[in-house]
Amino acid sequence: MSKQYYVESKPAAGGVISGNGMKADAKVAYVDDKPYEVKEGETILSLIRRHFGKGAVPTLCDAPNLEPFGSCRVCSVDVALSKGGPVKTMASCHTPVIPGSFIYPESDRVQKLRKNIIELVLTDHPLDCLTCEVNNNCELQEVAARVGIRDVRYPEGKTHLDKKKDLSHAYMTSDFSKCINCFRCVRACDEVQGQFVLSMGGRGFDSHIIKGMEVNFKDSDCVSCGACAQACPTSAISDIFESKSIQVDEKVRTVCTYCGVGCNLEVAVKGGKIKSIQAPYEAETNQGHTCLKGRFAFAFYNHKDRLRTPLIKKNGEFVEATWEEAYDHIATKLTEIKNKYGGDAIAGISSSRGTNEENYLMQKFIRAVMGTNNIDCCARVCHSPTAIGMQRSFGTGAATNSIKDIKLTDCILVIGANPTDGHPVTGAKLKQFAISGKTSIVIDPRRTELAKYATYHLQLRPGTNMAIMNMMLYYIISEGLEDKNFIEKRTEGYEEFKQEILGQNIDELEAICGVDKNLVREAAIAYAKAPNAMEFHGLGVTEHSQGTHTIMMISSLAMITGNVGRPGVGVNPLRGQNNVQGSADMGCQPYQGAGYFEVSDPVYHKKYEEFYNAKLPNYNGLKIPQMYEAALNDKLKAMWVIGEDMAQTDPNTHHVVNALSKLELFVVQELFMTETAKLATVILPASSFLEKSGTFTNGERRIQRVNAVVAPIEGTKSDGQVMVDIMNRMGYKQPELYDPEWVLEEISQIVPFFEGVKWDELGGDGKQWPVNKEGKGTDILHTETFKRGKGKFIHNNYKKSKELVENEKQYPYIITTNRELEHYNCGAMTRRTNNVLIVTDDVLMINPVDAAKHQIVDGDMVCVESPRGKVDVKAKITDEVKPGILSSTFHFPEVMMNNITSSVSDSEAMCPEYKVVACNIRKSKGEYKKPKATV
Amino acid sequence: MIKFSEEKLNKVKEVMARYPEGKQKSALIPVLHMAQDEFGGWLDTPVMDYVAELLNILPIEVYEVATFYTMFNMKPVGKHLLEVCRTGPCMVNGCDDIIDHIKQKLGISEGETTPDGLFTLKPAECLGACGYAPMMQLGKTYREHLTKEKVDKLIDELRAQAKN
Repeated sequence: MSKQYYVESKPAAGGVISGNGMKADAKVAYVDDKPYEVKEGETILSLIRRHFGKGAVPTLCDAPNLEPFGSCRVCSVDVALSKGGPVKTMASCHTPVIPGSFIYPESDRVQKLRKNIIELVLTDHPLDCLTCEVNNNCELQEVAARVGIRDVRYPEGKTHLDKKKDLSHAYMTSDFSKCINCFRCVRACDEVQGQFVLSMGGRGFDSHIIKGMEVNFKDSDCVSCGACAQACPTSAISDIFESKSIQVDEKVRTVCTYCGVGCNLEVAVKGGKIKSIQAPYEAETNQGHTCLKGRFAFAFYNHKDRLRTPLIKKNGEFVEATWEEAYDHIATKLTEIKNKYGGDAIAGISSSRGTNEENYLMQKFIRAVMGTNNIDCCARVCHSPTAIGMQRSFGTGAATNSIKDIKLTDCILVIGANPTDGHPVTGAKLKQFAISGKTSIVIDPRRTELAKYATYHLQLRPGTNMAIMNMMLYYIISEGLEDKNFIEKRTEGYEEFKQEILGQNIDELEAICGVDKNLVREAAIAYAKAPNAMEFHGLGVTEHSQGTHTIMMISSLAMITGNVGRPGVGVNPLRGQNNVQGSADMGCQPYQGAGYFEVSDPVYHKKYEEFYNAKLPNYNGLKIPQMYEAALNDKLKAMWVIGEDMAQTDPNTHHVVNALSKLELFVVQELFMTETAKLATVILPASSFLEKSGTFTNGERRIQRVNAVVAPIEGTKSDGQVMVDIMNRMGYKQPELYDPEWVLEEISQIVPFFEGVKWDELGGDGKQWPVNKEGKGTDILHTETFKRGKGKFIHNNYKKSKELVENEKQYPYIITTNRELEHYNCGAMTRRTNNVLIVTDDVLMINPVDAAKHQIVDGDMVCVESPRGKVDVKAKITDEVKPGILSSTFHFPEVMMNNITSSVSDSEAMCPEYKVVACNIRKSKGEYKKPKATV
Repeated sequence: MIKFSEEKLNKVKEVMARYPEGKQKSALIPVLHMAQDEFGGWLDTPVMDYVAELLNILPIEVYEVATFYTMFNMKPVGKHLLEVCRTGPCMVNGCDDIIDHIKQKLGISEGETTPDGLFTLKPAECLGACGYAPMMQLGKTYREHLTKEKVDKLIDELRAQAKN
């Protein structure tokens, strides 16, 4: 036996079972004639790596997040079924271990074979390592060195050195002269993202990776998730940031800020600047995957447009100021307003993009220092109905389960969510689920990508979720598919609920929602009969006048079928912003403080007063839409906003702008000069998530550590530091320096489900709340009892939106707003990255039938008019929407889509009804306004 | 508009019906042959996308198969497609000389089409006629025991045909 490359692990650490200490029933296989325990169903490679470490067997086509493939054969090992018996060479990566077999990972002939394979690979691979971007971080280089290649005996064959680099795309690059045909990129595209852009074309020596039908990255269907680039063992596929280059000073792990999935990122820093981003394979939330926003859209952070100094508006013009001047100005003004009008003339809007610590400090400042409960956050305009609805049904307004449960469920029900664009990494997991052929039900007015793969797509009219929910529940009850045991033991209010449901007029509901009742029946039965069914929903549920009602019906749907409290089930809101869960948890709500205690409850009121050592009001504050009303009525005089662009993203723009323009003091903490910032009286330049530390809580209640990657851009301060500074300035003493550690310590004392959360103990993957005193998190809620004791069935009937009742005669179309994968909300960040080269405009989706009716062709400007105003937007003709329905985004200020959206909002939570807007369309005479170049 | 005739569509259905449900991808190669015959002798991307749609599979699944087999043309071809075998037995019997000769005579390289749109030269892998090497396939017939003279005669004949 020649030299061994692998080192045997110590028995204690690696669980090696020696001959004597072996359990009688343990299955073993022999590696180099020594017995090792075999796990059920594991491969030879996994067995060897488990006992001898990752480097024990060289591999090329194997990757941590991909299924075993067995194409490169470098992992081959010799296997005999009996000692001294005939030996066969097997690819270890995809061959299951046969218990009792004898494995020789480094036999002479295996070593020769590996060397030969690599030699053959090298006949078609340029040996220009010194100028290659992955030099010293190349798996081929590593394996070649590992198997001892000194020269290549074969003559140079037909090579692919003439292959041109593909530099067509905003982010992705390829140089297929470096390709070794390992299929990792193809599998990443198929198995991770499910985009099916890449494959192997041609045959023999001509085999080569194709993108679509031999097109470049730009013209292909690539969604730039970068999974292929990360999977590629060489530099054949990479990105413009050369993310596999070793030219970095350090890599910092942090959490993405672009949605509620909470992907972990590994950010490479060189010379104090961000160089590139990759996704750690071991991260629980994203296992090596991200979308293009997380991986590539970071260039905004040092964009020339970043605000770098405080600005104070004087005579209508912004004048540069020092931080001291700005603080003085604000403190003086706030004191003046508070003394003159009282604390309730002041309001704060915190940011669901900020950390838990910053949100906590903001609400503390507004409550304890300003003495008002006028504190809200952007959750108001997205998932506030989820929080209220689930609190009423279950007792807690948070996802009941974890994303990893997608692997364990038998059926997914996705309502009003387009996770492909909104939550791409979870979206890819849901898509993989649907592609696998398991039962998937999508309820959405648009034929989204997920809907195309789904078993059932209920393509309802916008605003009729309640009709569909009533129908589904009707069929479940009338077919006798309720889980009687669960209902009896764990819920209340069922009999009354049942009578309401059975009293529904199904034919009428069918006409309302426009979905065949038989299809609804089939979907309802499929959901009810699945052993484990898991529900997901997005803003298509909440941003309606009956948002909260729908949430309670969804909760009832889960309870009636017993789908709560175990793995692979539950009600799971796909939270929009990275910390929308956290901002509510931290008390950025006008009626609940940190930890969700009612501010009007005398017990908790007293508790908060003692904790903050301040006098607090014992009545609810204003929700965001109420703040606008109060400002228009001269009741609200000052407002402080962290990182939210209400002027672009809140509905009915004119109304919002009028309200904000009336304020005496309007402080905006921002990265960029947004539409809202333009209205401010003081602008404070903030630091981005890449420049600060703290924690974000993702959609599955996972509190994860955000670690500062680079120093704050000169002139900016983190929102947390600003809060600490202003509290100190106004005489409410806080430690001078914002540091998440002490803030988190304080939070853990007041928020019960943060009790055991400690900065140092969060680790890479964080912890899912509630975290008990011992620091143990919780991945599934309501396992034994509901948070509120018994789950409550609450029924409501479908009710037509006021918007349609009042306006549908004059405005017969319905427009519903949505998101594109490439842009985030108001686009302030993503429009300042190369994403804007990929998606350049807001577009209006319109059905071919409607387009024909108005003589509109693809790319025409269309004037969309609602009772509030009109906008011009470019048409995209597609059957993704039904006739009569339109859909558009609001990422670009050039369009200002929210000029037309309505002020109608959810009856309980006041979440605006972005999803149902009555409008009319005509071909526009207006000129196309090309968005300003921002990169 | 790329669409099979009703008759051809029925044929597609018939081919698909030969395979178990959910295994309709098995019908890909026969359907690609039909598509190549129907839509100009080669497989343009929209044609392959149409096939994907018919079989309810992903476009990339069609591309990877179509590019693998030499009998599918991925570029427009001339009226006469000269598919010269270059696998072992034909090579031993001088197919390289034949290919070179055709190149010279037509002034084109492998895979190219003459400017008049008459001829495309395409080297092929084994066509199963090793006993008659060197050989080529022309349309639906084999031309065997090729010599330079035979090739000249053939090309001249086809040119003459085209003129008439």
